[in-house]
Amino acid sequence: MNFEFSEDEVRFRESVREFCRRYIEPRWVEIDEKGRIPVDLIKKMGEQGLFTIPISEEYGGMGGTITMTAIAAEEIAYHDPSVATAVYTLLNNGWPLLVERYGKEDVKKEILPKVSAGEAFYGIASTESHGGSDVAGIKTTAVKKNDVWILNGEKTYISGIREIQELPEGGGYFLVAKTGKPEYGHRNITAFNLIVKWNGKIRQGWKPTIFEEIGRRGISTGAFILENFEIEDKYRIGEENKGFYYLMEGFNVARILVAAATIGSGRWALDQAIEWVKTRRLFEGRPLASFQGVSFKLSELYGELEAAKLLTYRAAWLADKIYIEKNPKWKEKDLNIPAALCKMKAPEATTKIYEELMKWYGAYAYTKDCNAFRGWLGTFSYTIGAEGAQNIMRIIIARDLIGREYVKG
Amino acid sequence: MRILTLVKLTVDISQLKYESSGDPLMDIVPRKMGDSDKCAVEEAVRLKEKYNAHTVVVTIGSTLDHERIIRDAYAMGIDEGYIVEVDGYENLQAITVGEIVKSIVEMTGPYDLIILGAGSLDTHSYTLGPIIASKIGIPVIAGVDSLNYIDGCFEARCVMEDGTYIYRSKPPLIVTVTTEVNEPRIPTLKTILKSKKMEIKRLKIENLKVKLEKINILDIKRYVIQRKNIIWDASEDLEKAIDNLFKLLVSGV
Repeated sequence: MNFEFSEDEVRFRESVREFCRRYIEPRWVEIDEKGRIPVDLIKKMGEQGLFTIPISEEYGGMGGTITMTAIAAEEIAYHDPSVATAVYTLLNNGWPLLVERYGKEDVKKEILPKVSAGEAFYGIASTESHGGSDVAGIKTTAVKKNDVWILNGEKTYISGIREIQELPEGGGYFLVAKTGKPEYGHRNITAFNLIVKWNGKIRQGWKPTIFEEIGRRGISTGAFILENFEIEDKYRIGEENKGFYYLMEGFNVARILVAAATIGSGRWALDQAIEWVKTRRLFEGRPLASFQGVSFKLSELYGELEAAKLLTYRAAWLADKIYIEKNPKWKEKDLNIPAALCKMKAPEATTKIYEELMKWYGAYAYTKDCNAFRGWLGTFSYTIGAEGAQNIMRIIIARDLIGREYVKG
Repeated sequence: MRILTLVKLTVDISQLKYESSGDPLMDIVPRKMGDSDKCAVEEAVRLKEKYNAHTVVVTIGSTLDHERIIRDAYAMGIDEGYIVEVDGYENLQAITVGEIVKSIVEMTGPYDLIILGAGSLDTHSYTLGPIIASKIGIPVIAGVDSLNYIDGCFEARCVMEDGTYIYRSKPPLIVTVTTEVNEPRIPTLKTILKSKKMEIKRLKIENLKVKLEKINILDIKRYVIQRKNIIWDASEDLEKAIDNLFKLLVSGV
């Protein structure tokens, strides 16, 4: 058993940290306040190789690992605790992995280098208005005519809507749609590369809208309608009617990366808390830290965050065995529980830190002069949903513990 | 063009922590390539990219951190690296380092340019460039914040208190740079992974025939600020209170 990061991982973390100190930390409040990550910063992140980290070099990727991607997400979130730039990063790392794994050769070479360079966005579009957790119940349809799929439907709470429109090349999504008879449930879903803007032009049949969010405001969230949107068959991902399974693989990796991002933000909050309780004095000059009600709580919060961190990097390690090393000892489904565990623990550990930090700050925390609320709202987003609601994580774990017949969801 | 870059392993002051007594926790502080040395590496790599130069980096020490800073230089674009293995590298005299560099130049040179940081984060002596120059017998321009290569000559700018100086010199030349000279590139994951595979050459200090001169550092103390807790009641005589405060400030508090 080895709990050390490799030398490559340590050096990569240092390089990401240096990048963040120079280019993200000075702008994170502005990013959250204005509600956008500047295109020049996205481009710079692309030049630094922060997108497509686990993708092979032949497709423009960095030839790294999922653990390294988690490290990047964690460090970026430490320097932008609202987690917006970390989420932008993890989306453009996690979902392209499925394109590389299941996409067609010419499509991989078309899409991945542009995502890698920060010229195009690539995210996930699965949630629909009836509820994101019920993937099998999606209503968007794809009907094949000759060599073209015609898509109709709508997707909502989708990240990157504005970024796709603003980036020079555009981008798109890993999208799932029904392709057969409804009674087949999740065995009736096919995955597509939905490229909605390409070579700078928005394609016909895509009608987007952007929501006003309360937190993690730097990355846009919105919805879109697909009206007779045409996709050539070569943009289909993997086999027909196997999209649900690919999506679950994607969610597993995304859950690890989301957990890593919330841990980064949690580390920042914890550092703020430690600094504050050591320097804030009251009741005849006693530092806050000298009260056991504070120091004991701080120890508990640190313990929760460390536990979440261990779960997250253990899951990332396993993901590397499966997806990077392709070690036959492990199968894709082996990642279900570790990924669900870290996604269940990390956002909750972090939001608890923010809640205590803000209470220790007192009334100051309830003003916009104090930036803690940005991290609180940003990470709280992942206790609500995204990459699976928290209770979906509990269902996944309980199914394994108790048995599928007892846990119907 | 051949360029030799010298890098020193120094403490990362931004991560230095202290005991409550004020003593710095030197054993646990991370080490890194010195800031101005990193700028020297960047400058060497820029010259390489512009003039197809061959770049060499050298550090002195024998820890894993020394290997790491050579790999960091590789990840920035340096072609070839040497570690001069010495125990107790922290206490080496600048004059000894000058002797070591002279030996290395004799073994691996000649070089058109030797470039290094103007001062290290820990000792701040700013003497190494001139010492190397005197040992090798070539000119030195110290404290450079802009460096160009024009018509076969290096042109260097130094901003001093009394004005800006522009120097021009033919190679070979030693240049020490400040952190204003450039913004060093940050290695990418690709270059980090590539640097792992590059060979690091090792030289034993015994083979360089250099007499080791060391200074022992006995103690390092943090500046401690102590409050005087002197309070004047200004409610009755404000001017007197200000006068007292002024006298105290003038006395050197």
